[in-house]
Amino acid sequence: MYQQLAWILTVILVFALAVVFLTIARKTARRVDYQPIQEKGYRIRKYWFISLVSVMVIATFFSLRNLPYHDATAAAASGAKVVNVEGYQFYWKLSQEEFFVGEPVQFNVTSMDVNHGFGLYDENMQLLAQTQAMPGYTNVVDFTFTKPGKYQILCLEYCSVGHHVMVKEIVVKEKGGASDGKN
Amino acid sequence: MAKTDTNYPITSLAKKGVVGHLAVTATVLILMMAFGIIMLFNQGGLITISPDLFYSIMTVHGIGMIGMASLGGAAIMWYFLSKYVPLNPKVLMVNLVLSVIGIAMILIAAFVFKFSDAWTFLYPLPSISAKQHGMAGAMFFLNGVLLIGVGFLIMYLEIGRKIAKQYGGLMNGLGWDMIFGKTDKHYGPPAAVVASTMVVICNSTAILAGATVIVMSIVNILNPSIVFDALLAKHLTYAFGHIFANATIYMAVVGVYEILAKYADRPWKANKVFLIAWNFSTLFTLMIYTHHLLMDFAVPKWMLLIGQIFSYANGLPVMVVTAYGALMIVYRSGLRWDMASGLMFLAMFGWVAGAVPAIIDATIVVNHVMHNTKWVPGHFHTYMGLGVTIMIIAFMYYYNKAEGNRRDHSWDRISAAFYTVFFLGLTGSFLYAGKISAPRRWAVHLPEWMLSDIVGGISACFILAATISFTLRFFANVKYTKTANTSEEMIQETTNLMKKTS
Repeated sequence: MYQQLAWILTVILVFALAVVFLTIARKTARRVDYQPIQEKGYRIRKYWFISLVSVMVIATFFSLRNLPYHDATAAAASGAKVVNVEGYQFYWKLSQEEFFVGEPVQFNVTSMDVNHGFGLYDENMQLLAQTQAMPGYTNVVDFTFTKPGKYQILCLEYCSVGHHVMVKEIVVKEKGGASDGKN
Repeated sequence: MAKTDTNYPITSLAKKGVVGHLAVTATVLILMMAFGIIMLFNQGGLITISPDLFYSIMTVHGIGMIGMASLGGAAIMWYFLSKYVPLNPKVLMVNLVLSVIGIAMILIAAFVFKFSDAWTFLYPLPSISAKQHGMAGAMFFLNGVLLIGVGFLIMYLEIGRKIAKQYGGLMNGLGWDMIFGKTDKHYGPPAAVVASTMVVICNSTAILAGATVIVMSIVNILNPSIVFDALLAKHLTYAFGHIFANATIYMAVVGVYEILAKYADRPWKANKVFLIAWNFSTLFTLMIYTHHLLMDFAVPKWMLLIGQIFSYANGLPVMVVTAYGALMIVYRSGLRWDMASGLMFLAMFGWVAGAVPAIIDATIVVNHVMHNTKWVPGHFHTYMGLGVTIMIIAFMYYYNKAEGNRRDHSWDRISAAFYTVFFLGLTGSFLYAGKISAPRRWAVHLPEWMLSDIVGGISACFILAATISFTLRFFANVKYTKTANTSEEMIQETTNLMKKTS
């Protein structure tokens, strides 16, 4: 959802910017006194500034309500399955590789050598969640699978020449059923 | 033509330094673009190179493009700033020489010793690689980058020292005396001085952070028993990398202030709003590197929130003051578009357009599903390719016109049109690949990601052709530029040229 939103927003805003710049570029031939332009321009700028700040405040307010950072209390209350994830050049080692739909999972992600990136992809190769895998640190990602199937963990932080082969498949099943969702 | 605050002549040696910087910039740019095409076609399955070579090329492409933008930005900044502040041109030459040696060392590291740890060389990767492939590659690379950093630091110290001397303190270069009511002046220093002060503060900090992490890496390579905290190293790496890359445009934008104001025959004065905006830009640029760490959950949450909130805020100075000012200054100005003025104006669009996907990606919930996908190069290729690089190319044309009375050719406009259209194609392909979650820095791509790579690669071929054209035109015309005329003569020449063309 966020990928689609980011794409649409970017296309619309960049197009709008192009229209503004092209419009102004076409209005340069006739010279008029700068003073009135400055006075009017500064008046408009106040509203432009207030509008931008307002949009940023609203975006901040809504986007910060649902941060992906680990909430230990909530994870404990949900009885999340704890999975230890270790990154190595160039493979992933997971303490468990099978999961169930609807079951909260807490991925404790670390690295045993260099920086890696833990990127969780669905069957359509859409990125669902990620965190960095760092030597000496454990980053926690909470995730609940909503569909059965085969998921992939890709490395999302450059870790040397085998970076692109660092892929791990995990399986998500319906509770008490198969990974394709057909019980 | 507007009257400028010209005080000092630009010396012959300074001009040689500026042209030298531009020559190295253009050469490196073309080479790095060719590397970019090779990577995209390899990802798109059209050609096949070994992953080892791919990642060596990727490493050089990253550091090369940042270095190119820094050298080009430095040329612009030095050229215009030296009108207001008497700079020692020998320092500019020192920067050029150290940069060329540094570039040679980086190329040796990558293509002789197969160094491939990316331009971000995240600790402890260089040490691990050195154990596997020998330490020569890492040593050449890290010391090469360090040498380039030393050159730039010497240059910033010279600029900072002279600004402080001229304006009674470095912070007065950012207009603090006016902002805090210690002077009756209505305007602060020239925009070139304000921007240069900001760059001196930000990039000196960045270089010190970078030097620290480079020394840490070197120590760890020489003695693996001495280890450092990986998260601290990451902070230092991005405090260096983000700020240094970001500041390239703050050096180059000096050309926008000078050239658009001159062509529009309107003053671009540093009023209070302008100065406050640049002070906030300085602060935000130093702070917002933490948006590179949004997926490092071990970082304190308040620091990550700063990464989002101040990344948003960092868009305000450019959107409300600099880009808005560019629109105002050309509007109904009677300005005649040529390569210099047109490309400088286009670059302001590129800057703001590049900021849009960056600000969106700095939103933590978005970053969670887009960080380290191709969305990220989509943002910074817009910023660098349609912003900084366009400013540098615009300055090349301005320089030849101002110093050598050289005129644009219709071929230049065709090249500019090709460059712009296909650059939008390239950045569009990157952003689309980010939307479909294609990871960045992968030598081999899945079939579903390849179409965007091919579109990007073909677009990049046209961009490269246009850039070669710009460069050939620059080299062909630069020989006509004089080496000893003063700024006043330059202004007179430009005025005469404008009258002729109108």
